[in-house]
Amino acid sequence: MATPLSPRTRTLTVIAQDPSVLRPDGNILTARVEVPAERLAPGPWGHRVHVIDYDASTGRLYRPRTDAADRDPYEHVRDASRLLDDPCFHAQNCYAVAMSTLARFERALGRRVSWGFSGHQLKVAPHAFLDANAFYSRRDEALMFGWFHSDTGPVYACLSHDVVAHETTHAVLDGLRERYTDPSSPDQAAFHEGFADVVALLSVFAMPEVVAVALGARPGPRRDVLPRSALTPDALRRSALLGLAEQMGRQLQNVRGAALRRSALLEPDRRLYRAPEYLEPHRRGELLVAAMMNAFVQVWAARLEALREIQRGCLDRERVVQEGADVADRLLTTAIRALDYAPPVDLQFGDYLRGLLAADREDQPDDRRYLCRDALERTFRAYGIDPAAETSAAGRRSWLLRPGGVDVEGTHFASMQHEPDEVFRFVWQNRELLELSDDAYTRVLSVRPCTRVAGDGFVLHETVAEYVQILDLQPDELRSLGIRRPAGMPDDLSVTLYGGGVLVFDEYGRLKLHVSKSVRDAEEQSVRLAYLAAHGGLRGPGARRFSALHRRRNLARIERPAERW
Amino acid sequence: MTASTKPGKLAVRAYQVGFGDCLLLSFAYPDRERHVLVDFGSSGLPENAGAGLIKRVANDIADRCHGKLDAVVVSHRHLDHLSGFATSNNPKRPAPGDVIRSLRPAVVVQPWTEDPDAATDATKPTAILHRKLAFVAGLGAMQGFAESLLRELHLLRRTMGKRLADQLAFVGEQNLKNLPAVQNLMTMAQDTQAYVHFGSRSGLESVLPGVKVRVLGPPTVEQSDEIRRERDTDENEFWHLLGADGRAVATRGHGTFRRAASWPAGTVPRHARWFKRRLAAVRSDALLELVRALDEAMNNTSVILLFEAGGKKFLFPGDAQIENWAYALSRPDVCQQLRDVLLYKVGHHGSLNATPKSLWALFRNRSPSPRPGRLQTILSTKAGKHGSSQNKTEVPRKPLVHELQSQSDLFTTQSLSAKTLYRDFEFEL
Ligand SMILES: [Zn+2]
Ligand SMILES: [Zn+2]
Repeated sequence: MATPLSPRTRTLTVIAQDPSVLRPDGNILTARVEVPAERLAPGPWGHRVHVIDYDASTGRLYRPRTDAADRDPYEHVRDASRLLDDPCFHAQNCYAVAMSTLARFERALGRRVSWGFSGHQLKVAPHAFLDANAFYSRRDEALMFGWFHSDTGPVYACLSHDVVAHETTHAVLDGLRERYTDPSSPDQAAFHEGFADVVALLSVFAMPEVVAVALGARPGPRRDVLPRSALTPDALRRSALLGLAEQMGRQLQNVRGAALRRSALLEPDRRLYRAPEYLEPHRRGELLVAAMMNAFVQVWAARLEALREIQRGCLDRERVVQEGADVADRLLTTAIRALDYAPPVDLQFGDYLRGLLAADREDQPDDRRYLCRDALERTFRAYGIDPAAETSAAGRRSWLLRPGGVDVEGTHFASMQHEPDEVFRFVWQNRELLELSDDAYTRVLSVRPCTRVAGDGFVLHETVAEYVQILDLQPDELRSLGIRRPAGMPDDLSVTLYGGGVLVFDEYGRLKLHVSKSVRDAEEQSVRLAYLAAHGGLRGPGARRFSALHRRRNLARIERPAERW
Repeated sequence: MTASTKPGKLAVRAYQVGFGDCLLLSFAYPDRERHVLVDFGSSGLPENAGAGLIKRVANDIADRCHGKLDAVVVSHRHLDHLSGFATSNNPKRPAPGDVIRSLRPAVVVQPWTEDPDAATDATKPTAILHRKLAFVAGLGAMQGFAESLLRELHLLRRTMGKRLADQLAFVGEQNLKNLPAVQNLMTMAQDTQAYVHFGSRSGLESVLPGVKVRVLGPPTVEQSDEIRRERDTDENEFWHLLGADGRAVATRGHGTFRRAASWPAGTVPRHARWFKRRLAAVRSDALLELVRALDEAMNNTSVILLFEAGGKKFLFPGDAQIENWAYALSRPDVCQQLRDVLLYKVGHHGSLNATPKSLWALFRNRSPSPRPGRLQTILSTKAGKHGSSQNKTEVPRKPLVHELQSQSDLFTTQSLSAKTLYRDFEFEL
């Protein structure tokens, strides 16, 4: 299909998952992804993504193709070596996956999404260095992918769909929620990692080509049908989740971790969420992935139950595949939209689950068709993650739906849709209703109008604004606020407390929802400080946080800050 | 036990070797003294020491033990613990390692990871042997990586600050293979080559009668597994990918995609210049991170020995860091044994996590003021070689030194004048 599906988008050839995932004929499984149409400069170099193929280990800067501005030169290439040995294909692969991931976020959120740094163009280095690592760096405004030799030849992180989507998700999430990289709690430390895996894996499963291969080709006369016994949640867990995990390039396990494999093998157990080994960020992130991927197979299996059999006890294989890809795509939308209903600071998995349920309710008021909410709540709870309560333990309202008594005196509807100063006026005027702290520094981080298409086809206009509150305190001031001072906290160390919220306004400019964390919630702040003190996080994170995080996963290192001097 | 099979005194001689360890333990038995050399190496000589320092130390060891060593302990394979064992090919100009060899030690004690037969133990199931082999191969791969790193450093030097380059070179060189010294040690023992692990015999039983020597580290692969429930990313595999052999060596102009078009060196298009600089900086930082990680992994193969004689305890942990200590400290019986340590050789030259706080908390002989029986600590180090105070990783780590100073009788080799070779400590047993 050489002509674009619509003038607003174009399609580009990518490696569907990674070079180890093959078509039944033994060729690398490729796919065509849709990206926004734009006039590309050589790189590819577009308005949001700029591929610069510099290798710091060898000192080489590869030249980009100059003949690919508006076509896909790899559309008909079947020969694996012509893809693997051509750095320009690697560049296209990165560009297309990064761009389609960004576009996926923008489509789900119904608005433009900025990166986590002030520039517009994310730099991508497909062969940045000789290292089994890949990461996003806010400071360098870039994604960097390593390459290395293995017994079977060179391995390139930039050719793995899930790895590129994972790193792009870090960059997007950092733009949506800049405070999620702050030291806070085990959940917040793990969220970036878990969420990036969730988006990466659901993006991969949203491609029917991959689902078909993951389910495994059945040679023989009955290859077009699948028996119902192979389509229970448990069977799908083994065939699709584990099946794909087994086919993924093994050498990249050091780069990507084993979240998919573990989501298939990790038996639900409510104790895991509190277990000490699940305090390590990369391990804890796997719980989020396991809950999400298990919800995926649950919903998929439930949808298949309703399908008509084409033979006795059997379903059409094609249809099974398509349903799987649809469900993955739908859950991906929900997973992304949930961010709008998640507090901007000190995120707990329970807050995110509450956001997931709200996002899904907004999209599908009636759960009977997809059964997503039911499945999400069940699988998250099965791994020990319960939805956050609407009122915190200290009695603060963290989830305020359509409150009465809002003061809109003097604020202008039109300005409220994009001007931080106008929204700040609103916040200031309603500080009592919103339960803000008077003595904290308050700033509106973003104001974004959105246009979303709901499941029933209706168009929904909303404005989402985000603010933070920051309170700098000396350790001896903590007690007067009812916050417990962690043992061993040095006197000279000032502590920073964060609070903040998300305001969702409906199409008439009325406050629809306020999701918040209070900077003065003594109980939550005490727990956070105790965690930071025990994990060496009181002095703030280092530069290039993701590089360090991914390295710890590489080396399976356990941090023991309490043993250090 | 008769009087002649029990030492009455222990003298510990701590040599000033700069960044490194060299300790000579002399147990006075009624008939004669018996001498155990614990480590001998340096990777950064003291200021104004003069080039011949290590040779002078070797000669002093020979004098002190009257030409006969009973045992040599080499805690681990790092340069600063074994460079003194390197031999020369020239019989007219013997190297320090030739001097030590001429002292014909009966026993050489090393960690199990040095055992050339590590993977051929017939009593172990193959899966474990395989893991053991992989672990040892991983250490080899790390040293291969250190080599390629030094080559790459040569290329990157121009783009990075001098301090960072020096750090990289220092830690990189620490982790090179040091073949002459390693080979010398493999064939030096007159009677026993002991390769030890937590809970094993020390190999010193025959040469030190009446002294109990417990091995508290390194743990074996199986022992490490006991305190670590999950393992699905494998560190050894990671090192294998990065440095198993010369293929990983990156040199300018070579690498992957030999035939692909690239810009000639020095002609970077304007739009790529900022990013190229950033990427070079990222690479330097990553190399430092990697080389530190491999340095730690090697430190964690350190032999930890607890000597007990006449009811007094002396602890020599090499450069063991928390991951090595974790197994021993997970056992209440071992914690009990560590409570009354009298002499502690400070682990890893005083780095931030080689004297785990939970270990330090066990020592009952700590006290804020001098008193008989107060804990004696020996710190063999040289500041400014390893880590940085900006990242709170300087060696020796200041808060630790402060704690040692205020809670024990601390001796640091840095306090000796340039002309002084050592300090002696004596303990009645
Ligand atoms: Zn990540
Ligand atoms: Zn050392």
